[in-house]
Amino acid sequence: MSTEPAIRDCIERAAEPVGPAWPLHSFVTANPLHGFEDDPFHEAVQQANELFGGDGYPSAAVFRRAWESGAIDDQRLIDRLAAHGYEADPETLLDRMAAAEETDEPTARDRVDEVLTKWLATFLDQGQADWSLPNREAGFYAAFREVTPYDGAIPDSGVVADLPEEPVTAIKSVLADVPEGRWQDIFEMHLTALSGWTGLVKQRAAAGGGWQASAPITLTDYLAVRLALVDAFDAPLEPDTDGCDDDSAPLAELWLQAWEESYRAELVEAVADRSAVESDTDETRPGAQLVFCIDTRSEIIRRHVEAAGPYETHGYAGFFGVPMRHQGHDEDVTVDACPPIVDAQHRIDEEEIDCDAADAYGRRAGLLDTGEHLLKALKQNAATAYSFVENTGSAYGAALAARTLVPTAVHDTVAAVDEWVPDVHDYCEPTVDHDPSADTVLPRGLTHEQKVEYAANAFELMGIEEFGRLVVFAGHASQTANNPFDSSLDCGACAGNPGGPNARVLATICNDEAVQKSLRERGINVPDDTVFLAGEHNTTTDEVTLFDGDVPESHRADLEQLRADLATAQAGAAAERTESMDADTSAPVRETQRRAADWAETRPEWGLAGNAAFVIGPRSLTADLDLDGRAFLHSYDYSTDPDGEALEAILTGPMVVTQWINNQYYFATVDTAVYGSGSKITQNPVGNVGVVQGNGGDLLTGLPLQSLTVGADEPYHQPLRLSTVVHAPVEQVEEILADHDDLATLLDNGWLSLTVVDPTKDDAFHYEGELTWDAVSAETQQAVGAPAVAADD
Amino acid sequence: MTGNHEPKTVGQIPQPSTTSTPFAALAFTRLVWVLFAASLAVLAGVVAADWRPAVAGVLAIDGLTAVMWVAATFFSGIVHSYSRRYMAGEAHAGRFFRNIFAFTLAVAVLVAADHVALFVAAWLAMGLLMAALIGHVRGWSQARAAGRLARRYFLLSSLSLTGGVALLWWETGATTISGIAAAVGATSGPVGLAAASALVVAALVQSALLPFHTWLLSSMTAPTPASALMHAGFVNAGGILLVRFAPAVVEYPAIMMAIVVLGATSALLGKLLKSVQPNVKRKLGCSTVGQMGFMILQTGLGFFAAAITHLVLHGFYKAYLFLSAGGQVEHTAPTGTSDRSVDFLDAVVVAVTAIGGGALFALLTGKGTSVDSGLLLVFFVVLTTMHAARDVLSHSDLPAGVRYVVVPLAAVPAIGLYGVVYNGITAAMAGLPVVSAPTALTPLHWVVTAVFLAAYVAIELDAVEHSTRLYVWLVNTAQPAPVTLLTATEEYNEY
Repeated sequence: MSTEPAIRDCIERAAEPVGPAWPLHSFVTANPLHGFEDDPFHEAVQQANELFGGDGYPSAAVFRRAWESGAIDDQRLIDRLAAHGYEADPETLLDRMAAAEETDEPTARDRVDEVLTKWLATFLDQGQADWSLPNREAGFYAAFREVTPYDGAIPDSGVVADLPEEPVTAIKSVLADVPEGRWQDIFEMHLTALSGWTGLVKQRAAAGGGWQASAPITLTDYLAVRLALVDAFDAPLEPDTDGCDDDSAPLAELWLQAWEESYRAELVEAVADRSAVESDTDETRPGAQLVFCIDTRSEIIRRHVEAAGPYETHGYAGFFGVPMRHQGHDEDVTVDACPPIVDAQHRIDEEEIDCDAADAYGRRAGLLDTGEHLLKALKQNAATAYSFVENTGSAYGAALAARTLVPTAVHDTVAAVDEWVPDVHDYCEPTVDHDPSADTVLPRGLTHEQKVEYAANAFELMGIEEFGRLVVFAGHASQTANNPFDSSLDCGACAGNPGGPNARVLATICNDEAVQKSLRERGINVPDDTVFLAGEHNTTTDEVTLFDGDVPESHRADLEQLRADLATAQAGAAAERTESMDADTSAPVRETQRRAADWAETRPEWGLAGNAAFVIGPRSLTADLDLDGRAFLHSYDYSTDPDGEALEAILTGPMVVTQWINNQYYFATVDTAVYGSGSKITQNPVGNVGVVQGNGGDLLTGLPLQSLTVGADEPYHQPLRLSTVVHAPVEQVEEILADHDDLATLLDNGWLSLTVVDPTKDDAFHYEGELTWDAVSAETQQAVGAPAVAADD
Repeated sequence: MTGNHEPKTVGQIPQPSTTSTPFAALAFTRLVWVLFAASLAVLAGVVAADWRPAVAGVLAIDGLTAVMWVAATFFSGIVHSYSRRYMAGEAHAGRFFRNIFAFTLAVAVLVAADHVALFVAAWLAMGLLMAALIGHVRGWSQARAAGRLARRYFLLSSLSLTGGVALLWWETGATTISGIAAAVGATSGPVGLAAASALVVAALVQSALLPFHTWLLSSMTAPTPASALMHAGFVNAGGILLVRFAPAVVEYPAIMMAIVVLGATSALLGKLLKSVQPNVKRKLGCSTVGQMGFMILQTGLGFFAAAITHLVLHGFYKAYLFLSAGGQVEHTAPTGTSDRSVDFLDAVVVAVTAIGGGALFALLTGKGTSVDSGLLLVFFVVLTTMHAARDVLSHSDLPAGVRYVVVPLAAVPAIGLYGVVYNGITAAMAGLPVVSAPTALTPLHWVVTAVFLAAYVAIELDAVEHSTRLYVWLVNTAQPAPVTLLTATEEYNEY
């Protein structure tokens, strides 16, 4: 242990419980309890409670509301409680649960956290401060070592008084009197103390990037500083050992299961009914096919698009299967537009193709940019800031009044300015062709084989064999103002970025004649008159913008018709949205536009709130259902996937990502303080990387209260674990689980559930753990499900 | 695909119960805007018809009252309207609206009070209400601690104010502000000096000047709109106090000089404090410390109408920045942009623009047209215009033609607009005992000017950024009180 690599390894292990936190500008989906996924759910939340102090289950009040509204089926609840030996009636049990929810005792706070958060915030800053921490480039430990002598808030005692050059040496000297066997527990205690900041450090150290290169930080650096401060302040070094291990499923787990079961039963029944009829023998060619992200918000717009005309819609992961690192036109930063379980493999830039439009963009954007730059420069210098305020104060007053009193007019102005500056897709083209001379860390563009692979994958996974005249790949993005969490509303499959660029790449690939030729060789026949185009679904206003640069004259009429129908769909979807928000429903589209532009709006849209299910199967299973924006939908047709490869890809990829999204929403709802980020009204953005509450302290990395709740004690997001429903032969699913231990473990531990609607057997099967299944038909006869939790101890 | 029947619903989420703010919110919001309209009418009456309503010995409405009523009800109206959407679904929105409305009334009384007891009472009420807003989230111990901290500061300022007013009463026998103003010329003894000092201390605390800035930098537990009201309204009270009691203060050159030095110190340090902050709201807090320093500096130079103009315009600016604080998360890259260097032609353009800006300012406002402390104010305008011109010229993306015209094109109307507002407020305040009392230039004024100039150059050359000691001092000076930091997130327990 005394060797440096051994200590670093030990630190890595001790940091496992800490969930990585991404900078807020690219809000990446992550299960805050990712480090505990190897344990059964109820044990995991118990351990996390001991480490972070967070609640793991909804409160009694939330259960009561769901129970009283009928969302928790009475009979299922009573049966489930009885099966675990609870004889008292639900009312009494709820009271008991409420009584046990005492407010947490504040843990012993120490000065260590105050000093640490101060220096972490300055070190990890990404350009918010004008004058950054001196000597950042030498690393966190070295920079801290530099400021310590001047920081009067740090006592001049212990290791801090004379910090050794190497962080590991500092750690060793603090722990000199402690047996090495106890080090890992000590590391874990200190790494989980400020879990927001350490999560960010962990992510940044692992992912690298520009900021990590210019200000490197490691968990070892962090721990060395923390232990040195612990020593200086004489704060507790070791955790209390009063861990009480309770293996039985808590009462709340049973209530939650009953709630999930009530929801799932309704869904599975509806899907199974439609699977039994399997009517989709509709041979007419669709007017257009639109492929949306599997995101729950697509469920709403898809219903309305289908209702507006002869359209077929599909669900596919919103990065459209292209793992790319994208640099937008005129941007200094690149973004990895792919889910966090995939590494970016291609570098895609934007190349100017229309010089006039690009010049116009350059001039107009340059003018806007200079204005911004000037404002910033004047505010910065001490000597000029005061006159500046006097000379511009009146303009700020006018802006105050406009943005507060007429937000809809502000939306129209912003739209007009956007119109004035040419759109990137009008004069740029993604660089999809492989160009070895422009390779950086990643190859730029894609080879022919890769293009064919991505296109074929898309059609095979979705089970698309027939093509309409237009095929639209619609990525999605949100539009909100004054919202630090805006990227949490963008595409989760693109790591919290808009999905339009990925859609454009896939559309460009599919229009490539050479690619189409190779696709035909693989049995995918793209007719000559099929045109692929990209689009973007604005999830705040439900407007679908089509990037129509490549559409030939012959398809103009189809395009105009589609545009008109998309406008109809927008109106329908917006009406549904405003109802779910208890907003002004008289002019739904205007209301959603107001929300998109209103700086005072804390709930511009519900995002993925409400998510509870993932349906993998053909659209015919859900087409005439209103799933209320609660279901992720992935298109899949078992009959085109005899060997189950496509299904394997869906279960190991999209299903895991949806589970993360679901857990993220779940935990932020059950404990907004520890797993969420509290109320927006008192949030304070810090360093372009995240938010703190009020004056500062630990970084808060989860979703804000307003993304999840309607009001105090009234969640909009119903905290349920994900119910996955797969339309495929049950043997095939079982085979995939048997091949993928990690998936089986997740399911066995109850992080999500799986039900297979088997078209070959006309029955549904619920996964009960350890590769065993329960036929749903049998289950409904008994009316009681076997207790899933009991199975795992 | 196109079904004619309504789709079957599965797992419908219950219809949300009303998320809007309570009825009180709507009622108070309408009422504030009615008050705003009424204030505009009063202002028109005061300016156009020389109307001066008063309740003898209790209330006296003059130009300052009218200007501040208009400003305060405007800020309050914006904050009310904004909060109706922003605070939707908040458990205690009703209490929040009651507090911000009551705060608005307290400000209205403060600027209209003639009886000193009423003035003190309104001052205290403002403090208590603002402390309650800082501690609005009662289930959160850090918010409560921040509220308590602020309340202690405000009690201190109220105590100091009470002491100063009591001394003036003892000295002059007058119980009204107008009475004191009339009688004060005769006093110049140590009692008057002590009274003036006490008033200045009260003003410094309320306006959060160094070294009394900690309450402001620990106040971010307040809901964002309350912070906007605090930075656009509450901190202005120091300026109002000095303008109201100006006759008792201008008598003492030493006090005026002290105000200049204290104001200038806060103005310079506030900006430096801001430059090291990664935290958005604390950055804005540091900026307010600086801006209030500048406003107090203007009173010290004898330009009372300029101070009032500054606090109103700063209110617009800072309220805007607070209300838009949520937009401050940007994806940035660590490397800076490459600027083009400035050549000789640029230097000429910069100099001409800067001097032109200063001349326009002097012409429009009359400040700096004689050799007195007004020259300092012109100096700041020249510096700002110069800086703006330099910045635009170093911005490489623009064609040369655009670069050279942008600055005059932006600077002339901006300075012009300021001139209009300043002249308007000066006209409205005509009739106050002291509106403008430029002081003679002393060597100390030159020192202040030199320090500002040196600071400008040092910041431009990045010279200050070499001192780690200074950096650490700035970071620590702007730290909020430790009890108000949320380091163990489970303690955020309101929900």
